[in-house]
Amino acid sequence: MSANSRPAHGEHPTREALRMFARSPVAVVGFALLGAIVALALLGPMLMPADPFDIVAAPLSPPSFQEALLGTDQQGRDVLTGIVHGGRATLAVGLSAALVSVLIGITVGAIAGFFGGTIDEILMRVTEFFQVLPALLFSMVLVTLFTPTLMTIALSIGAVSWTATARLTRAEFLKLKELDFVAAEHVIGAGKGRIIWGVILPNALPPLIVSATFAIGTAILFEASLSFLGLGDPNRMSWGLMIGSSRSYILSSWWAVTFPGCMIFLTVLAVSLIGDGLNDALNPKLRERR
Amino acid sequence: MRARNFGVLIAAAALTLGSAAAQEPKRGGTLVMGQSSATTHFNNAVGSGTGIMIPGAQLFASPIMHDDKWNPQPYLAERWEISTDALAVTLHLRKNAIFHDGHPITSEDVAFSILTIRDNHPFNTMLRPVEGVDTPDPHTAVIRLKHPHPAILYAMGPPLMPILPKHIYGDGHAIKTHPRNNKDVVGSGPFKFVSFKPGDQAVMERFDKFFLPGKPLLDRIILKLYPDSQTSLLELESGRLHMQPFFNRVLELERAKSNPALTITSRGYEAIGGINWLLFNNKKKPFDDIRVRQAIAHAIDRDFIGKALHKGLSRKATGPIHSGFPQHSAETTQYAFDLKKAEALLDAAGIKRGPDGVRMRITCDYYPGDEDGQKRIAEYMKPALKRIGIEVEVRTPADFATFARHMASKDFDISMDAAFAWGDPVIGVHRTYLSTNIRPLVFTNNAQYANPKVDELLATAEQEMDPAKRKALYVEFQKIVTADVPLVWLTELPYHTIASKRVHGLPATIWGAAAPLLDTWLAD
Repeated sequence: MSANSRPAHGEHPTREALRMFARSPVAVVGFALLGAIVALALLGPMLMPADPFDIVAAPLSPPSFQEALLGTDQQGRDVLTGIVHGGRATLAVGLSAALVSVLIGITVGAIAGFFGGTIDEILMRVTEFFQVLPALLFSMVLVTLFTPTLMTIALSIGAVSWTATARLTRAEFLKLKELDFVAAEHVIGAGKGRIIWGVILPNALPPLIVSATFAIGTAILFEASLSFLGLGDPNRMSWGLMIGSSRSYILSSWWAVTFPGCMIFLTVLAVSLIGDGLNDALNPKLRERR
Repeated sequence: MRARNFGVLIAAAALTLGSAAAQEPKRGGTLVMGQSSATTHFNNAVGSGTGIMIPGAQLFASPIMHDDKWNPQPYLAERWEISTDALAVTLHLRKNAIFHDGHPITSEDVAFSILTIRDNHPFNTMLRPVEGVDTPDPHTAVIRLKHPHPAILYAMGPPLMPILPKHIYGDGHAIKTHPRNNKDVVGSGPFKFVSFKPGDQAVMERFDKFFLPGKPLLDRIILKLYPDSQTSLLELESGRLHMQPFFNRVLELERAKSNPALTITSRGYEAIGGINWLLFNNKKKPFDDIRVRQAIAHAIDRDFIGKALHKGLSRKATGPIHSGFPQHSAETTQYAFDLKKAEALLDAAGIKRGPDGVRMRITCDYYPGDEDGQKRIAEYMKPALKRIGIEVEVRTPADFATFARHMASKDFDISMDAAFAWGDPVIGVHRTYLSTNIRPLVFTNNAQYANPKVDELLATAEQEMDPAKRKALYVEFQKIVTADVPLVWLTELPYHTIASKRVHGLPATIWGAAAPLLDTWLAD
C-alpha cells in the first residue's frame, strides 16, 4: 500500500476514524463499559440518594440481602452507596487531572518544539527534572502541603504526570514544523501563535488524544494510590478513599476493598480499551495495515 | 445453679494454683519487646513519651515504685518520710546501690536528678513546688517543698524520676542535648545499656550488681521499633517478637485475642490514664453556648464508638479522670444518646435547620497518629452530627505540626484529642481545665475553658495531703466540669499489652512497661 491511499477513499478523515473505531470490538466494549460507569456515576446518586457517609449497619457487616447488599466498611458505612456516590469524585479527579497534565504537557512541548534552541534546552531540562522525580512521592508532598481536597489532588496529579505528553508534543512539533504546509503559513505571514495553535497542533492531535486517554486511566490509579496512602479527601466519597480507609481490613473483610477495587479496575480497563481503539483509528500507518 | 458455679470456681482456683506451682520463674533469656513510638534517647529526666520512658525505666532506677493498687513501694529509697507540715520529703537511699560504671549512688545524684527534672522535664507541674534538695549525708536526701505536694509520691515513680549519675550528666553540657543521652548511657537501674541503633532497636543487658538481689530475671531486653501495627502482630504470631506494650489497634487486638499462642491484657495502663475526647472551641460562636455543646454531646453514640468501632476494647469515659485513678468518680453528668433532645437544644439555642436541613457547617480536626482512637472517631462525627443537622468537614492534618498549630492558634471548631494523666491529676489532668493554662500551645487548655470554681478546686486539691479529702475535691471537680461540658469525654484509650504465652510476669503495676521489668521471665 502506498501513502496516498487515504485520499483514494474520498472520505473525511474524522468520519473514517470513527468508522475504524466502531469496527474495533475492543474499542466498542471499552466505550460501552465506560458509558455504563459514567451513567452509574451521574444517575446513581439520584436513584440512591442516601448519604454515603451514613452509618447503616454494624461495622464490617458482610454482604447480605437483609442489610447491606455489598456489606459495610469499618465505620459501618454502606459499600454499595459508597460505590454509587464515589464514582463522581473518582471520574472527576481522573478527568481534571488528565486535563491539567495534557494542558501543561502540550504547552511546554509545543513551545519547546516550535522555537527550539535555548528555549527548547531550558524547557527540556525542566521536563527532565520532573521526569526524574518519583511521581508518587512528589504528588504526596504536594497534597500534604496543600491539604487533601479533590482540587489539590487533581492538580498535584496533573503537575507530576505531564512530562510524557510534553515530550510527545515536542517530537510532533519538531517533525511538523519542517513540512511544506507550515512553511506556506510562514510565507503568507501568519503569526507564531497562529502557526503553533492553529496549524501545527491540530495536525499533531491524534497521538496526543490517545495519550490523553491513557492519562485519564493513570490519573484514576494515581488518586487511588494517594487515597490508599491515606492522602485522600476524607469529605468526598471516592473509590480510592474507600480502598484506602478499609485496606487494613482486607484479611478479615474482603468486601470493603474488593468492590471499589473492581470499579477502579473496570474504569481503567475501559479507558485503556478506548485508548487502544483510538490509537488504531487515528494512526494512519495502522489504518493502512487493515 | 449457684452450687455449680461454686464448683467451677473451686476448679478454676485449683487450676490457677496448680499452674502457679508448676511455673517456677526461670532466670535468663532474651526478651524481644516491640514499641510503636521511636526512641530518640534514653534520658527520661528530660523527655516524655513511651519511646523514652520504657527504656528509661529499665536503665535508671527511681526513688520509689508502685504496685498495681497505687501503693508506693520502696525502690532506690528503702524508706521515706513526709514531715507533718508536708513541706519536706526525706528519702533514705539503699547503701548498696551503684551506677553501672561502679560509682556509688548518693544523695548528691538524687538532688542533681530532681533539680534537673524540675527544670527540664516537659511535665512542668510535676516538681514545680520543689524549692531545693538537701543532702545531710550520702544516703539521705531531703526534698524541700514550697507548699504541700501530694503528687510527688507519683512524680517519684519509675517513668518520671530517673536517678542520673551526676559525675556524667553534671559536666556542664546542656542536659537536653547531652551526648550521653543516647550513647554509653550509665544508668542506675536493673538493666544496663549495650547498644542503640536509632530507628531500629536498643539492646539492654542485666546489671549483675543491681541493688535488689536476684533481680531482674531476664538476661537481655531487645527493644525493637515497629511503627506499623500489622508488622508487629505478624512478628508476635511468628514468635520472633515476645511482647508489645502500648498497643491500641483494634483490628490487630481482635486477631491477637483469637490466637491461642498470645495473651492480651489491658492491665498496666492505670497510671497512664489515657482518655480521648471531642474538644470544643469554647470561645468561638456557637460553642460558647452550653446548649450547643450539650446538643453535640447528646448526638454522639458512645456505645457505638466503644462497642462497634472499638469492638468492646475500650471503656466509656465518664469524665475527665480515667477510671483506673483513685480520684475517679462516676457521679458525673452523663449525656445519653438522644437525638430528639439534641435537636431541641439546638432549636432553643436559635440554631435552626435551613431549607436544606442544615443547621450549620463546622470543621473537625484530629490528632494524627492514632487511627482507632482519633481518626475513625473524627470520621464518625460526620454522619453522627449530620443527624442533628450539623455538616462536619473532617480536616485531615498534614502532620503533627499542622495539628499543633491549629490548636495553638485556636483555629478550629471541634477537634478530636487525647491526653495522658501520668500518675496524678496534677501532672496530666489539670492542664486541660485550668484557666491559667490557656496558652498558645498544643496539649494545654485548648478548649479555653474558664471556671473560677474549678480553678479554686484544683488549686486546693493540688496541695491537699489527705487522700480522702483530696478525692472529695476531685469528685466535685468532675461534677462541675461534666456539667459545663467544655469537651465530650468519649472513651478511655484502648491500650493493651500483647504477649506470647511464653512471657510470664507481664508488667502489671500501674505504670505497665514504663516501669522496670523486674519479675518478667521467659518460659521455654
